[in-house]
Amino acid sequence: MDMAKYKVMFLTEAREHLQKMSAQLVAIEADPTNRNGIDALLREAHSIKGMAASMGYQQHAELSHHLEDRLDLFRQKGKISPTAIDYLLAGTDLLELLLEDIAAGREERSIEDFCQAKVEPQTLQTPRVASPPALETKLQIRLKLHEKVASPAARLLVILRQLSSFGKILQSEPSQEQILRAGPVRHLELLINTNLSAHEIKACLENYSEVARVEVEEPQAQQAKSVATGGATVRVGTDLLDRFISLTGELITNRYMLQSAAGDRDWDALQEGLGRLARLVKDLHHQVLQVRMMPIDSVTGRLPRLVRDLARKSGKEIHFELEGGGIELDRAILEELSDPLVHMIRNAIDHGIESEGTITLRAWRQRDQVMLQVADNGRGMNPAQLRRRALEKGLISPAQAESMRDYEALQLVCLPGFSTASQVTDTSGRGVGMDVVKAAVEKLGGVLHIDAALGRGTRFTLKLPLSVAIIKVLLVEVDKKQVALPITRVLQTIEVERRQIQISGKQRVFSHNEELLPLVSLRKILGLPIPQAAAFVSVVLTEVLGRKVGLVVDGFAGQKEVFVQKMPSPLEGLRGLGGGTILGDGSIVFILDIQGLIERRR
Amino acid sequence: MSQRVLIVDDALFMRNLLRDIFSDAGWEIAGEAADGNEALQKFQQLQPDLVTMDIVMPQRSGIDALQDILTVSPAAVVIMCSALGQESMVMEAIQHGARDFIVKPFQQEQVLEVVQRVLG
Repeated sequence: MDMAKYKVMFLTEAREHLQKMSAQLVAIEADPTNRNGIDALLREAHSIKGMAASMGYQQHAELSHHLEDRLDLFRQKGKISPTAIDYLLAGTDLLELLLEDIAAGREERSIEDFCQAKVEPQTLQTPRVASPPALETKLQIRLKLHEKVASPAARLLVILRQLSSFGKILQSEPSQEQILRAGPVRHLELLINTNLSAHEIKACLENYSEVARVEVEEPQAQQAKSVATGGATVRVGTDLLDRFISLTGELITNRYMLQSAAGDRDWDALQEGLGRLARLVKDLHHQVLQVRMMPIDSVTGRLPRLVRDLARKSGKEIHFELEGGGIELDRAILEELSDPLVHMIRNAIDHGIESEGTITLRAWRQRDQVMLQVADNGRGMNPAQLRRRALEKGLISPAQAESMRDYEALQLVCLPGFSTASQVTDTSGRGVGMDVVKAAVEKLGGVLHIDAALGRGTRFTLKLPLSVAIIKVLLVEVDKKQVALPITRVLQTIEVERRQIQISGKQRVFSHNEELLPLVSLRKILGLPIPQAAAFVSVVLTEVLGRKVGLVVDGFAGQKEVFVQKMPSPLEGLRGLGGGTILGDGSIVFILDIQGLIERRR
Repeated sequence: MSQRVLIVDDALFMRNLLRDIFSDAGWEIAGEAADGNEALQKFQQLQPDLVTMDIVMPQRSGIDALQDILTVSPAAVVIMCSALGQESMVMEAIQHGARDFIVKPFQQEQVLEVVQRVLG
């Protein structure tokens, strides 16, 4: 039987089992005598083994079998020690690497070293940390000898022999035979399977003063994310499929109805049929979106393990709580969230929590948005310090620093260049990668809020649309053209009377609910001519860096649900342009990222 | 404890040169040999950390002596001393297990680099 077509399914399922295994292992660490937990682990390992064996992935099957054996011993013993958990976690990591090999269609790496580093239950009492298995990687080496080297062929031969002591040489150009036949060879290019790092090999080759240049890297083909290719798969409940079928049936009935109404020139029946069609299409759209929805658990599954590892490394005691893991989000959004979540949790561990504390990841629905919050109960952030730091770094002007409210000061950590990993100290705040997090969230049409109280922790809150592919937009007019603003970024639309607008310094402001808010003109931002202001100005109330701002437009053209399309190259990198969409009348409308636009101007 | 070298060369001049280079670098000169036969004898007797082996010698050549030494002590570290134009012989020696080679005229830096590499 041709097993290839089951490969994608195998990969998806095996990954799920591995994630469960690793989550279970972390849970068991807190409760090592939990028999049910050990039983669950055994079942996972057993399922993986069975799948891998029937697919013929030998190393994978063997390793899961090995882990199953270990687990069985622990079950008989009734508990698992922390050392054993390290070992088993390393084992699940190795299983994941094997999956990557399988996904990329290359040979599975060897598991021999890992299995030899056996942790027997008897020896578990002694704190022996199982060393992570040495993994073989394929490296490409390119080197060139100096022009004036004496006996270059002999030199290359020495180098080739030394390299062959590091691993298996898969391919070499020139080959050893070609070198032996001599000739003036100065270049050597080879592929080696080794458990040394590229760095180690390079350092070794740089010991040869005869070598003029050397490059060691992973071969290109392997660098490309081969895992990502091959089309992702989703599992869909059969009830959902049934609903699709019944919807299709209704659409067919509807077609006959419309056809006969048109044939009879019966406008009332046609009207009714069209109304029904609209409902069916809406229903279908909703159901299709359902297929794309995945529970947040699917990306947070790895986090307990991450927290555990990071906490161990930093010597801190950290509790991790997850709430609302069942909340569903569009898979496209979830996929983009994985890295930002890791960033925020890392930050909380590195900078938020001092020696002991809790990190909570909470998800909840708020109308048609999903809120995701990473909160810690650590030391919080100091707005005064953040202001000072941003000023020092020249990221804000003294005037800005002065007029900035505390809340705004907290958002400063998201500025690129606010902090870098090498500068992180107790006082440097927590800007590591926050600009990346912010960019990722905004790309999805979401908003990032940061709030913190000195000594009482920090909260990062992500406000996300349920689905990225289809969003609701506000269409506005500017210079006789329509552009769209994601509705998630619109707080309110207002008509402001001209006389309500005042000038404060160079800034136009207007009073709204007893608050003075700055006004910015969309025409000005887009570099369009600015006409005489009419008696009433159309203003979109939005939020930039946590601060309300009024965006002046020529007029409102209504709300629509649109299918967002990514901008093709070279437009995709344009700051402030969130994407594009095609309206029902065939016109193309740009979707603006207001925050990006306004920031670009700064 | 300093490392010990056995210097094998039929030319006294070359032996002296290498002797100075190694002594300067803090090595102990375990001994010297002037041909391939003597090389094997001295090797077994002195058990040095390193052997420098001239390739062209009367009676038994450096390549033969290299093979003799590796037969009795497969882990022995032998580097070949060659002159320009002896590349094919150097390659033969390397195939037979010589760790590296140095090229006459010897320069202290070059010699020490090779030595450090094969022992480090």
